[in-house]
Amino acid sequence: MSAEYPRGNQANDLPFATQTLEEALATHGDTATVVDVDEPTQQLVLFRLNGQRFALPGSAVSEILPSDQPVYYVPGLPTSTEGVLHLRGKIESVISLHHLLGLPSPEGASKGMILLVRAAGITSGVRIEQLDDVCEVAQNLLQAPPETLPSTLRPYVSALWQIDERQAIALLDPEALFDAYQQGLG
Amino acid sequence: MPQHRAPYEQAQVALVLFHVGPYRVALEARHVLAMADHPTALRTANAHSLLYADGEHDSPPSHWLTLRDAQKASDDNSTWQLGVSGDITLQQLPANTLYPLPKLLHSRRFSTALCGFTFDQQQLVMLLDARKLNL
Repeated sequence: MSAEYPRGNQANDLPFATQTLEEALATHGDTATVVDVDEPTQQLVLFRLNGQRFALPGSAVSEILPSDQPVYYVPGLPTSTEGVLHLRGKIESVISLHHLLGLPSPEGASKGMILLVRAAGITSGVRIEQLDDVCEVAQNLLQAPPETLPSTLRPYVSALWQIDERQAIALLDPEALFDAYQQGLG
Repeated sequence: MPQHRAPYEQAQVALVLFHVGPYRVALEARHVLAMADHPTALRTANAHSLLYADGEHDSPPSHWLTLRDAQKASDDNSTWQLGVSGDITLQQLPANTLYPLPKLLHSRRFSTALCGFTFDQQQLVMLLDARKLNL
């Protein structure tokens, strides 16, 4: 029996692109969208300070406190220290990162949430202006900080997440932040 | 002989509370030897100078707390007086309501004497270690 291509059928007279069976089946598969679950990811807490986007490692943020969490002013501390908060039988400091990161201080009373950050055996609240998201990001998307990063940020940025051509998020190093604060910076 | 407390017995700490400007401050009462209306010791200091530069928001002390001079040898019984203002009260506060200074603030505090915080009538009270006061 010889193979005959059907002729005279209008549909078969239409021009068509040739494709192998493998290719045809592949178009129905979801191999292109499969996420490699073994790819290492990092949880990030995304937030804004002075409108700029920053992140802290999720592993360093133990709690996100509401903006109405009472903070008690302590005199005689640097302006970057907002005060202390009383949380479940513990007193924690609350600091602002604006001075350390070379950002203008916000006008008026602090309104944003407080991230409870733990690094190098130290826990402190960090006031943010806006919480954007808590997400998992593939580690290969986190790039080394570029040389063009402002010098005020460089000591505290461990990686950059380039979301697209216009947006990048600086991943902050909480240990470096606390260390600098203790050394009298900010 | 060791003292044993029943498990329900709450440990208390006696504190002398006073004001420095608008802020409330406390010293452990065992370090306060006496209180007087006028200074009598050779060395005196106004608690105001803990937080404020010379003369700034200055107010004359209403009372003088006599403290053992920690800067002198331990066998020396010399004392000094700390001028304080506002209502001065002696209070017993539960030990578990006295909180240590957060680690991050250790190197930035106005004085190494600042060692913790507590609350009295929902107001923050700064706890000072009288032995480290160096005014």
